[in-house]
Amino acid sequence: MVNLSVDLGFITLKNPIIPASGTFGYGEEFSEFFNLDQLGGLVLKGIFLNARNGNPSPRLSETPAGLLNSIGLAGPGAEALKPVIHRLARMTSTPIIVNVCGETDEEYLQVARCFDDMPEVKILELNISCPNVAAGGRCPAQSDSHTYRLVSQVKQRIRTPLMVKLSPNVADITSVAKAAEEAGADSLSLVNTFLGLAVDLRRRRPVFHNVVAGLSGPAIKPLALRMVWEVAQTVSIPVIGIGGICSGKDVLEYILVGASAVQTGTINLVEPGASLRILREMKDEMHRLGIGALDQLRGTLSS
Amino acid sequence: MQEAAGRLVSNTKIGKDARVMKILCDAVARESEPGHFVMIAPTGAYDPLLKRPFGIMDADPPYIWVYYQIVGRGTRLIGEKRRGDTLSLIGPLGNRFPERERSTILLIAGGRGIAPLHFAAKRYAEKNKVYLVYGAATGDDLHLGERLPRLGIAKIYEYTEDGSRGSRGNVCLDLPRIVATHGIRDTFSCGPDAMLQALAGHLDGKTENFISCEAIMGCGFGICHSCIIKTVTGEYKKVCTDGPVFRLEEIAW
Repeated sequence: MVNLSVDLGFITLKNPIIPASGTFGYGEEFSEFFNLDQLGGLVLKGIFLNARNGNPSPRLSETPAGLLNSIGLAGPGAEALKPVIHRLARMTSTPIIVNVCGETDEEYLQVARCFDDMPEVKILELNISCPNVAAGGRCPAQSDSHTYRLVSQVKQRIRTPLMVKLSPNVADITSVAKAAEEAGADSLSLVNTFLGLAVDLRRRRPVFHNVVAGLSGPAIKPLALRMVWEVAQTVSIPVIGIGGICSGKDVLEYILVGASAVQTGTINLVEPGASLRILREMKDEMHRLGIGALDQLRGTLSS
Repeated sequence: MQEAAGRLVSNTKIGKDARVMKILCDAVARESEPGHFVMIAPTGAYDPLLKRPFGIMDADPPYIWVYYQIVGRGTRLIGEKRRGDTLSLIGPLGNRFPERERSTILLIAGGRGIAPLHFAAKRYAEKNKVYLVYGAATGDDLHLGERLPRLGIAKIYEYTEDGSRGSRGNVCLDLPRIVATHGIRDTFSCGPDAMLQALAGHLDGKTENFISCEAIMGCGFGICHSCIIKTVTGEYKKVCTDGPVFRLEEIAW
């Protein structure tokens, strides 16, 4: 038997596999495919204060081993999400993580407070890194000072543990990570999607209305792995690795470079049962490598 | 709806870029109804990453049939698959055409839009009177033409843009007359957006009109929100889980 549990300090997860925001709906859709109790946790699709229609078509463009998306965080709004969470919590004991979005600092705070008093919500993930909200793909996580200001403002007003989701679209991700840690983040999740561009050669126009879009999938794994490695060496709060995870081996690689747990993303769209397959593969790989617990592997990369 | 492995029984060329796959997959076949679709992976690896959506052309457990055209890299890779290959699929997905008994139904198919209507003809012909209007660019593009007579369709009207088979023109040409002649009560349509859009001007409001829409999809089961279509109320609906079958009057073109 291998020990898969993960102690984040503020919560213990039964295993390190957490489906990421935007790739797992509101959880219940996946209960048709498997028992959600088997996950380490799950992150709901990002939520704003009010209902949003999202961006016009097209919203997706496939790339080699990846995809660009410009969904624009379509969703029902914070109040409408609450009954969905009640329903989900009756369906599964897996920790529910709400992905908190905002167009302004005030909106982030309002949305966070909306879920702060819900005992079913175990972690709030502050999504300061979505590239599909503002023009040009700008987001708070591209500025150390904005990150510090926003995270401390939210942290001071909520009790639920706060996970801050970082953007890879920066020159030095470690300085933003430090800003979030100093502002009181309980953990960091990284990375959100990489800014990319798709063009229509015939029409000489961008494919997407918002021009830039977010790249995800196996194509980004080495980039994301490098960033998780850098951040894990810089901060002392738990780091959740995200980016192109498709196999049990991928998960162990993220743990090796210092991640406490991981989020599976785009693969959930292609293979709804992927998170469970990845969990099985991870156990097998740990057996093969003689790793009894993830603590024995975490952050042991020697160079 | 489930993830399943299908065994490819045949992948038959029926036109220049057109194929029909027969897939052994009992779990999906048993739940399939006209209008449903399946997502099929082009490869066992991650490039291209996404599965592709295909309307189910027929289901007779343990088999389903999928008619498709090779339009890009994903469908080209699927076209290269051989008997005995394993396919990773998710299905059946989406909603279905409404159930009907003792109705008079007109099926209107443009090009590869014939796929779900082929299935509808087969399932509805026993308890309803079913007519079909089938159009494409040329006679060679009416890929399923030879397979249709055995489905119990009362009358088939064929149209081609170049006049090489059936009447010259598009599927809208004689619609009011066909609807009136046969006392049509329901129409089920599938084809290019431009065709679906044009239908509204040729159906007089006395029929109930259902259309099956095509869209580029990410997941096919409602998660990624990529395959949106705008409704007359201004909201977006997902083709994969709110559709692919919608009422004609519901969509804003």
